[in-house]
Amino acid sequence: MTETQTRELARPPFWRDIRVLRIVGQVLAVLVVFLVGRWLFSNLIDNLNRVNISTSFDFLSGPTNFQIPFCGECWVIPFQSRFNPRSPVWEMTVVGIKNTFLAGFFGVILASVVGVIVGISRLSENWLVARLATLYVEIFRNIPPLVIIIFFGFAVFTFGPFPILAESWELKVPGTDDNFLMINNDRWGIPGVSQVGEALVFFIVLLVVLIVAILIWRWRTRVFEQIGEPHHRVLWFIGVVVVGLVVAYLVSGAPFAMSWPELTENRRNISGGFQMNWGFMALTVALGLYTASHIGEIIRGSILAVDHGQSEAANALALNAFQRYRFVVLPQSMRIAVPPTINQYLNLVKNTSLGTAVSYAEITALTKTSIGNGRPAVQSIIIMMAVYLSFSLIISLILNIINRRIQLVAR
Amino acid sequence: MTTAAPPVNQLTPLEWVRKNLFKNWWSGVLTILLIPLILVLGYRAFLFFFVNGQWEAVQRNLTLFMIGTFDREMEWRIYSQILLFVLAFGIGLGTNSAAVQDRAEDAGLPYERSSVLATVGRMWSLVVFLGILLWFASTDDVGGLLNPFLLIGAAVAVLLVGFQAFRFPRRLRSAGWLLTATFLVLGFQVVSGFDVGGWLPLGLTYGIAAYMVAPVGRFEAGWLRIVMRLVAAVAVVAVIRTIYALVDSPGIGWDEWSGLHLTLMVSAIAIVLAFPLGLLLALGRRSTLPAVRIMSTMYIEVIRGVPLITLLFMGQFILGFMLPAGTDLSAVSRAIAAMTLFTAAYVAEIVRGGLQALPRGQTEAGQALGLAPPTIMNRIVLPQALRAVIPAMVGQFISLFKDSSLLFIISIVEFLRVRSLVHTQPDFRAVSIAETLVFVAIGYWAFAFAMSRESQRLERRLRVTR
Amino acid sequence: MEAGVKRINETDPNANGLGGNQGQRQRNRIRVAAYVGRFCQLTFQTDGGEMKRSKLLVAFFAFALILAACSDDGGGDTTVAGGGEGGGTLQAVLDRGELNCGVNETLPGFGEVAEDGSYSGFDIEFCRVVAAGVLGDANAVKYVPLTAEQRFTALQAGEIDVLIRNTTWTATRDGQEGVNFLYTTFYDGQGMMVPASTGFTTLEDLDGANICVLSGTTTELNLTAVFNARGIAFNPVVFEDNNQLRPAYEEEQCEGWTSDASQLGSWKFTIESEGGADQTIMSEIFSKEPLGPAVADGDTEWAQVVNWSVMATVQAWEFGLNSGNIGSYSGTDPNILNFIGTDNFDPKLGLPSDFAVQIVEQVGNYPEIYNQFAELAPLDGSVNDLWSNGGLMYVPPYR
Repeated sequence: MTETQTRELARPPFWRDIRVLRIVGQVLAVLVVFLVGRWLFSNLIDNLNRVNISTSFDFLSGPTNFQIPFCGECWVIPFQSRFNPRSPVWEMTVVGIKNTFLAGFFGVILASVVGVIVGISRLSENWLVARLATLYVEIFRNIPPLVIIIFFGFAVFTFGPFPILAESWELKVPGTDDNFLMINNDRWGIPGVSQVGEALVFFIVLLVVLIVAILIWRWRTRVFEQIGEPHHRVLWFIGVVVVGLVVAYLVSGAPFAMSWPELTENRRNISGGFQMNWGFMALTVALGLYTASHIGEIIRGSILAVDHGQSEAANALALNAFQRYRFVVLPQSMRIAVPPTINQYLNLVKNTSLGTAVSYAEITALTKTSIGNGRPAVQSIIIMMAVYLSFSLIISLILNIINRRIQLVAR
Repeated sequence: MTTAAPPVNQLTPLEWVRKNLFKNWWSGVLTILLIPLILVLGYRAFLFFFVNGQWEAVQRNLTLFMIGTFDREMEWRIYSQILLFVLAFGIGLGTNSAAVQDRAEDAGLPYERSSVLATVGRMWSLVVFLGILLWFASTDDVGGLLNPFLLIGAAVAVLLVGFQAFRFPRRLRSAGWLLTATFLVLGFQVVSGFDVGGWLPLGLTYGIAAYMVAPVGRFEAGWLRIVMRLVAAVAVVAVIRTIYALVDSPGIGWDEWSGLHLTLMVSAIAIVLAFPLGLLLALGRRSTLPAVRIMSTMYIEVIRGVPLITLLFMGQFILGFMLPAGTDLSAVSRAIAAMTLFTAAYVAEIVRGGLQALPRGQTEAGQALGLAPPTIMNRIVLPQALRAVIPAMVGQFISLFKDSSLLFIISIVEFLRVRSLVHTQPDFRAVSIAETLVFVAIGYWAFAFAMSRESQRLERRLRVTR
Repeated sequence: MEAGVKRINETDPNANGLGGNQGQRQRNRIRVAAYVGRFCQLTFQTDGGEMKRSKLLVAFFAFALILAACSDDGGGDTTVAGGGEGGGTLQAVLDRGELNCGVNETLPGFGEVAEDGSYSGFDIEFCRVVAAGVLGDANAVKYVPLTAEQRFTALQAGEIDVLIRNTTWTATRDGQEGVNFLYTTFYDGQGMMVPASTGFTTLEDLDGANICVLSGTTTELNLTAVFNARGIAFNPVVFEDNNQLRPAYEEEQCEGWTSDASQLGSWKFTIESEGGADQTIMSEIFSKEPLGPAVADGDTEWAQVVNWSVMATVQAWEFGLNSGNIGSYSGTDPNILNFIGTDNFDPKLGLPSDFAVQIVEQVGNYPEIYNQFAELAPLDGSVNDLWSNGGLMYVPPYR
């Protein structure tokens, strides 16, 4: 009896009971957020109704009514449908997403390459190289990306050394009349692939090949772990994919052909190949270089963070400079560098939203134009934010996967 | 602590060149390749800056770049603001160096007070920018109330006067900080106006301060002390409120600011507003209450997942409809709101990093002493964590400062958009495009570079003291 | 730190050995000093040293300061316009004593900003016209620069009272965007400019070409509509403003520049006078662009006020009144006497009876406004001339 009594006595009153307080606190927090959210939302709906603005997403199936820059008849869905001003708004959104992705993708590649070079250069023993790299970093890091983008758009393409479209510089593949590269101040052409037949079979075979290649990768990894035989899994993987591509191509009856860029008859356009317009190039290069200055700093910091003893040990083993970096320093610094670098990738993708400054039709620019042409702003902006969010989520997902893998390596 | 200095290897210039430029064959090749490149680029830059550049567009529009469409008859407000800010900066600098000296003395270490010159030297990029401005200003009579040289002279004088704060006796050290803050507030309000509502910042802080130091020692009873403290606080607040009510001179609200002035102020305002919000979010994300944690995390991740421009669009196109009809915020206010909400998420992550870096032992020690959780947070965790995140916060401020250029896209006349105005004027219709762009880039660069230097220095200092 | 606190606590005023009145004052002074010092000490007392906490305090100051700025009514943030609330804009403007006018600040001839930060331009003048009519002071205007995309949102949300930003009157905007268009101040049409050296004369010559155009405007939609209707392929190159567009055009990144004809005319003049290549504006005008002020739907009183203010400039023109002679009119034409508010004639529009005098004296009549801007095509004989001269400027009688 006494025991129960003590326990009951020890129990504080409910207003000081931590368990109760925790629940009350959470309920209150949720309630406040909910009420504020509901207040904002109901205001929004009321106000929109008051000024007669549609709150539905029906506009997505209505016609776009304007021509997307550098998208005369560009693909909405590769090899399926092409865009024209009568295409519905959702197709415009798809084109915007595609363009955002392209700028982000190539920007990331450029930023990585330049960033690594700059990062290593800053630690170079050559005074000049180190100083130049520092200069580069300090200049690009401290100027707003928007200014850099505008600069590249106008300094390089508008006022730059390149000829106009009709007088493009053409770089031929030796011995043929095919253009390997076409350079002008409007859109550059590089070789691309075009569809000439039914491609469904090709994609199915390709899928199978990819699965096989992944299985082989796993198999090589297992072999390596079990019997220590060198795995060469990258070579295996690439080999299988290449062979698979050839097989798929032949099996499906050659549905694709190489397509070379060339001037159209009226000399106002480039037909064939893969075309990069100046807005795309200015945006990609500007963001690539801007982000590279950040990545360079990350790489430099991560290399410095590797214990000096490691380098000395490598020296003691008589490894040369390249081997020292490749096998001793870089693998360790990578572990430090990867997470912040991917954060920079994320920033780069988000910064592609500045393409509107150089007439590049990414999702933000298109949404802006679309709003200007009378599409409802609220829904358009929600769609745009959702697009960026999914890009970010995908990149974060990749970051997590890579992080986990790096930690496995570190074990 | 006297250690002999390590022997210094004096290299002859030739040895230096061999060691640093031609150490091995590829280093030599790089050097030989780079030297002509540098020469060519340097020559081109020289031509652009001093020979070919048409700088008239910048020169004649210098005031437009600085303060945009700000009412020219109210220019004195900006001048006063600059002087008051410089004064606050000087006092802060003096007090800071004296405070460091105090601590060094307590620890029995030798300390030499840093001079104003050293600080100014660290911000050489700003000095360069100022030099450029003066150069433009001196080659043409820029219509203004005040000679720019006079202004600079006054600023230097004020800075030196402010720096004398280091002469305050030690027990008044903190009064220096109080003065710094006061002049910051006054500097802000000399432009925004000393309206009736403007008493809040000074009144609030002086009130709290008075509450804390009210001389209540002679009262025994606890409640009596509290009453007396409250009386002191209310009295101080009332005095300040009255002063403001008496002055009551409306100024120029931020929706009428523009140019570089707007760029700087908008980023400062947004980071200051974002700080408390970010702090709350960081604590929320580390909370043990799942609901709070989930909501904070969601907010942070969603905001960090979208570009600032989408939030600015939201501010421009949606926010106006989310508030009850009739409350209509100006474009600048909505942009500041968007930038604040955006930055808060990043600040939250920075603060969270600081909290995570703090050893658990600190909290546990507090618990062992039987302190209440809020006390542990206030007295132990936050002071240390926040101190550790100062460099990162400066970094965030730099990035916000650079991001403020996005206001260009939503037609707010900040530093970058002044270019558009200039190139609409009959004399400069789309000519000298590169010149104005380079000028603007140098302006952004000067500020961002100075701040990044400062952040690196803080970082180094924190690492050393740890 | 600890030592510092102790030292101050020890500063006992009685201990300094001074007596009398002077001593009392001295003691008081010391007490005040000690008070301030202790206040600071206590505020910043922390084991981390006083400095860090003090920096926090500075931050706190700044935060509080901004909070206050937000709550500051004078900041102009919380003015009630109630644009779409069904009435009240006129009263709101009168209470505020200032007109919020949505403008374009980067359009040559229509809206630009001079070196001294002052606005000028055809559209700007009409902002001043409305301010002069409503408030009696042409300078009581706050100009709100807006992008093409933002303008209707700004109007609907009540951020601006009137939009005078070379906005084309279209059915969609009138209906869907909730905008009420008023008297057209400028009749324009979309044209196409090409370098004279190309020899192009029709749109068909531009098949497949790059066309430079400003974003978010009806120009962009017209371009698409017209070219598609005629089956002409083209590629738009879209720019935010003209100072980006012009170099792209001059460096031949695009072959044609399409915009309102008035704009093209001024750019042709600018380019040629600065030594650029000769330009041709195609004779074909392929759209109608009536530009005029717009207000939010649902406030008839305000719409009338703006409308009659704007029309007063044309009415004065018709009466032969200008800024020089309207104040000293001594004739007996009853219509003019009504117009200038003699005998306090008041048609209950909500405007003061002398509004026309204020407008014309402070800003001018229509041709006085128009002819200030060399960028606009000559007024005489153009579509913007008075109806009696064969133009379209025709206003209802003021009686």
